[in-house]
Amino acid sequence: MSDHLPQLSRRSLLRAGGLGALGLSLAGCGFSQPATVPVAQTEKPIDMKVDGPLVYFNWADYIDPSVFAGFQKEYGVKIIQSNFDSMPGMVAKLDAGNKYDVIFPSAKYAQRLAQAGRLYAIDHSKLRNAELVFGSYSYFDDPWYDPKSAHTVPFTMYKTGIGWRRDKLGALSGSWQDLWDAQSSGTTFLLDDEDEVLGMAALKLGLDPNTTAQGDLDRMTSLLQTLRPHLRGFSSDDYNNLLNGTATMTQAWSGDMVSVLSQAKDATLYGFEVAKEGSPINSDCFAIPANAEHPGTAMLFIDYMLRPENAIKTIQYLGYPMPVHGTEATYAAMVKQLPQCVIEPGDLKPSLYFRNPSGDGAQARDTAWTDVKAG
Amino acid sequence: MALRTPVRTERPAPAKNVGGRGRRPRPSAAGARIWTWLTLPGTVWMSVFFIASLLLVAAISFGTTDQLGDPRFGTDLGNLKALADPAYRDVMVRSLGYALLTSVICLLIAYPVAYAVALHAGRFKNALIAAIVVPFFANYLVRMYGWSVLLSDDGPVLQLLRAVGLADDHTKILNTGFGVIAGLVYGFVVFMIIPLYAAMERMDTALIEAGRDLYGGPLRTFLFVTVPATRQGAAAGMVLVFLPAMGDFVSAQFMGGPNQIMIGNLIQDKFFEGQDWPLGSALTMALMAVLLLAMFGYLRRTRKDEAEATR
Repeated sequence: MSDHLPQLSRRSLLRAGGLGALGLSLAGCGFSQPATVPVAQTEKPIDMKVDGPLVYFNWADYIDPSVFAGFQKEYGVKIIQSNFDSMPGMVAKLDAGNKYDVIFPSAKYAQRLAQAGRLYAIDHSKLRNAELVFGSYSYFDDPWYDPKSAHTVPFTMYKTGIGWRRDKLGALSGSWQDLWDAQSSGTTFLLDDEDEVLGMAALKLGLDPNTTAQGDLDRMTSLLQTLRPHLRGFSSDDYNNLLNGTATMTQAWSGDMVSVLSQAKDATLYGFEVAKEGSPINSDCFAIPANAEHPGTAMLFIDYMLRPENAIKTIQYLGYPMPVHGTEATYAAMVKQLPQCVIEPGDLKPSLYFRNPSGDGAQARDTAWTDVKAG
Repeated sequence: MALRTPVRTERPAPAKNVGGRGRRPRPSAAGARIWTWLTLPGTVWMSVFFIASLLLVAAISFGTTDQLGDPRFGTDLGNLKALADPAYRDVMVRSLGYALLTSVICLLIAYPVAYAVALHAGRFKNALIAAIVVPFFANYLVRMYGWSVLLSDDGPVLQLLRAVGLADDHTKILNTGFGVIAGLVYGFVVFMIIPLYAAMERMDTALIEAGRDLYGGPLRTFLFVTVPATRQGAAAGMVLVFLPAMGDFVSAQFMGGPNQIMIGNLIQDKFFEGQDWPLGSALTMALMAVLLLAMFGYLRRTRKDEAEATR
C-alpha cells in the first residue's frame, strides 16, 4: 500500500478538473450555432441497421476493448473513437458541428441536449434488450431528465457517499456529519464539484440538493465554512487520494470505490457509506446526437451494449453498475467489501438527482460555490 | 545597441538625447519596405490569435449563458458586478503574492545555474542547457500529477524522509502553500534560466577581467559588473515567470489545499464546473488588468535601464 503508485485511469484524473478541456472548448467555440436539424427527422424512428462506421464519443477508457472488438467483428463495422474529458467539453465539441453517432451525457446534460432538440428519438421497442433495462428499473420509464426516456437509454449509475480508512478512523456513524470528524481533520477531502459539495450541505440541512433560494444557499455556505478548517482540499481524484494515504476520509463516488478495492493491497482498510440524510444519485446515458450520420449503427451498438454478457464486461472494466437485469449479482460480488456501493432500483429518487437550475439559479449556486471554495 | 554605437561616435555628445533615441542613419526606401513586410506575419498572427480572441473575451464578459450553458453575447453588467465578491479580491491578492514569491525564488535558483553554465561549462554548455530544457518537453500537467503522487503522504519522498528521521507522521508536503509554490517554481524556473543564460552568454567577460584589474574583489566585481550586465535578462526572466505563475491553476490544483486556491482555479471553474463563460471572461479581464499593470512597471524599468545604458 505504502509505495503504491496509482494508475492514471478511468475518468477521475481528467474529471479532476477537466483540465485539458480548456483547449477543446475554446477550439470548439461554444457560441457558434450548430446547423439545426429538422425536428421531424430526429423524431422519426431510426432504422436499426448498419449504416456506416460507429463514431463513438465518451470519456476515455470507459469500455472494455474486447467489447468493442466483438461489435466490430459481429457487424463488420469500424468503431471510430474519440473522447471528451468534461461534460462542457462534450457540448462544445457538439456545438462546433462535430458529428458523433453515440454520446454518453450525464442526466443533467441529457436534459439540456434533449430540450434543445439535439438528440434523436430512440424507440425502445426496436431495441431487443430494452426490456432488461426498463423491465427491472421502472424509474427509467419516465425519468425527470428525459420524459419517457424518449431520447436516451440509461448507461451507468452512481451515488455519492463517504470513503474512509477503517484502520485510522474505525466505524463511522452513517451521516454527513462524519465529514466533520476531528480524527481525520486535516486529511479530509471534498469532491471538487459544485453540485456535490452544495448538495451534501443541503442534504445535511434537510434542504433540496438543487435549491437556489438565497436563504438556503447562505445556510449551506455557513455550514460549509465550519467544515473548511478540517479540509485538506477539494479534489475529484477521490480513489487515488485514499490509496496514496493523502486522504483518511473523502466524499467519494461509489464507482470510484471499486477502483480502491481493485488497486489496494489490503482492501479491508477502506469503507464506503452513504449518508442517512440522503446520498445524491446520478446516471449517465446513451444518446444519439441529432446530426449523427450513422444512427442505425448507433442503435445496434446500444442494443449490443445492453446484452448481459457485454454489460457485465463493461461493469467489471469500469466499476460502475448498469441498470441491466442480470448483472446485479456480478456487481454485488465486486463490491462485497463495500455493499453500500450497490444501487437498488429504490435508490433512484428524482429528488436526489442534480438538476439544471433555472434562470439565475445557476449563478446564485456558482457564487455560493466560489465563496465556499475560495473561503 | 550595436546600431547606436556608430551614431554616437559620428556626432558630438547630444545634450538633449537623454533617452538614447538618437537619429539613426536613414535607410533607403526599399530597405524600409522590406522591414515593414517582414512584420506582416507577426502582425497578422497577433491580430487573429491574440487581439481578436482578446476582444471576444472582452465581449463575452458582457454576455449571458443560454440553456445549454453556451455563452451568448449581450450587454449585461452582472458579471462585472459579481467581481465585487471579496472572494475574488482575496484570491487575486494571494495569486499575486505566490507569483511574486515564485519569481524571486526562481531568480535565486536560476542565477547560479545560468552563471555556471554560461561562464564555466566550457564545451558542455549546450548539453547542459539541453538537460535543463528537455524535461520541460513533457506536459506540465502530467509532471505536476506525477509530483502529487511522489509527494503524497505515503509516497516515496515522505517515506524516505521518515526513514532518515527528517519527517514525522504529520509532515505534509501536499496541499500546503509550500507545495504550491514549489510546484510553480518547478514549472517555470526554466523561463528564468534561459534569459539569464542568454544575458550572461552575451556578456563580455573582458568586463569581469577589467573589474579585477581595477582591484575589484570577486564580490565587488560581481555586484558592479556582472549583475548590472545581466539585469535585463533577470528582468525578462521575472516577467516570463511571473505572468504564467499568476494565471496558473495546475499547481494549486494538485499541490494545494482549500487555502491555496489561485485565481486561475476560479477562472477554470467558471469555464467548466459553473459553465459560466461570461463570468470567467470577466475574471480573465480583471486578471489581465492586473498583469498589464505589472507589465507596465517592467516596461518603465527596462526603459530606464536602456536610458542608463546609453547615457
